[in-house]
Amino acid sequence: MAMPGSPRRRTSLTALLPTAGLLPLVLWQIVFFVVPVALIVGLSVWRRENYRLIPDFTFNNYAAILARPAIWRALLLSAETAAFVTVVCAVLAYPVAYFIAKKAGRWRGLLLVAVIAPFWVSIVMRVAAWRLLLGERGVINQMIMALGLTDEPLSFLLYSPVSTAIGLIYAYLPLYVLPLYAAISNIHDSWIDAAMDLNASPARTFFEVILPLSAPGLVVGAVFCFVFGLGEFVTPALLGGGKQLMFSQVIQDEFQRRLDWPSGAAMAVVLLVLVFASLALSMKWIRRASGEAA
Amino acid sequence: MNRLSFGWALPTYSVVLYAFLYLPIVVIVLFAFDAKSIPGLPLEGFTTDWFAASLGDARLVGSLLTSIRLALLAAVLSTALAMPAAMVLAWRPVRMKSLVLCLVLGPVVLPQLVLGLGLVVLFRAAPDLVGQPAIVLAHTTMTSSYATLMLYSRFLGFRRSYIEAAMNLGANEFVTFREIILPLIAPALIAVLLLAFTDAFGEFVVAWFLAGFTETLPIAIWTSLRQVISPKIYALSAVVILVTLAVSVSAQIWILGQSRRESEP
Repeated sequence: MAMPGSPRRRTSLTALLPTAGLLPLVLWQIVFFVVPVALIVGLSVWRRENYRLIPDFTFNNYAAILARPAIWRALLLSAETAAFVTVVCAVLAYPVAYFIAKKAGRWRGLLLVAVIAPFWVSIVMRVAAWRLLLGERGVINQMIMALGLTDEPLSFLLYSPVSTAIGLIYAYLPLYVLPLYAAISNIHDSWIDAAMDLNASPARTFFEVILPLSAPGLVVGAVFCFVFGLGEFVTPALLGGGKQLMFSQVIQDEFQRRLDWPSGAAMAVVLLVLVFASLALSMKWIRRASGEAA
Repeated sequence: MNRLSFGWALPTYSVVLYAFLYLPIVVIVLFAFDAKSIPGLPLEGFTTDWFAASLGDARLVGSLLTSIRLALLAAVLSTALAMPAAMVLAWRPVRMKSLVLCLVLGPVVLPQLVLGLGLVVLFRAAPDLVGQPAIVLAHTTMTSSYATLMLYSRFLGFRRSYIEAAMNLGANEFVTFREIILPLIAPALIAVLLLAFTDAFGEFVVAWFLAGFTETLPIAIWTSLRQVISPKIYALSAVVILVTLAVSVSAQIWILGQSRRESEP
């Protein structure tokens, strides 16, 4: 780049600019993201005696939490709920993503924004609304009873894993539509038309052309749903009822009520390992899939 | 559009799904106008009293103002951190770029619970910061990830030829930035500010852990959810939700229009 002005000062200045631009954000994220995570990992190998934290290097906390059946129950419930929510979100989101990407014409921008908009409303308010809807005297029960489908309110709707799942499906649906939309709008219409020209039925066109080509979107959406579902705290805390605890609730309880930070930290590390394992698995899949496509 | 058509099934299904997405919002707005003091069906008459009542509740209004103030700070801070970083990431070769990206995007996938607890441990070293400063610092960490991501994609689509033209005409980096880059990305910058504000405003988990005696609006609602909820809460929530929707929709449409204009030849 030949430029007027003194060349030497300019080169040193341009060389410095990238560092100066990145440094504040990188430092910030190290202090307020990397260090807190490192502290949790570090704390998980400390021990606690008489309510005091003592530096140590022990895996006893892990052994102790993994020996508690309640931990396994909570972990299983979290994983099951997250997996269920992911599958339901994929099924519910797919047709809408297809509609927006392929059939909505000039409305697609607006429709896409309208899908994501509820996601920006505070999670606490959305969950408060679901309590109005799902309660024993809530909107849904009143409607079902008014229609004469049942005489007594369905009590399992609120304060159960069912209500947690409904709340989570509602919360993550917009997140699943986005990557699906991106993947489906990358599929050329001519490929779909070609399959139809070759006398493939609509079902066959869908299962053999559209679905495989949108697989990256399905995987990305699934990872986000599953990872967020595993660690979600507000929805199970407000809708789950407290009889069957999810893993995140057990972690919070360990930290804030039992004040056993080392055990709580060990649980948090287990959660982190699960999150990163899911991420790594999907990255590997995406890399392999894009490698095949190339 | 392709020839594969599912007839009316697809549009009908989409209408039902949009109804599902907006059902909770409609319900909150509906109950905000209901005359009963314990919300439930059937609706018993129309009133706007709850709006007046919520504005008369000093604690509730105080938490709303706290939320607005803290979210404003977090939005400005995170945009200020994100903009130069996104510019460098999009335009310059960066050593260990994937590591930097992991660092920047990590807070998105990290469970909020874990970040919150980690920050609780961190702020044990600085107990004076617990409360409002800690909330701002934490929210800035979370929103700067989204802000960097959005600005990064905006800068990738930016026509570099404008910059080269300005530099060829003798403008230095600073003049180019002030006269060319800033005016062109200003809409994206405002959109990112608005979305960061919305995100920080509504965040609950991390704020709750770090709050001390501070009460943000999500924390106030959480506390009230433990008892029978007064319709005041729904009235205030209805207003906040409608403002949130208006802000986020206009910000996103703004981004959308901007990127469309850029991509047109």
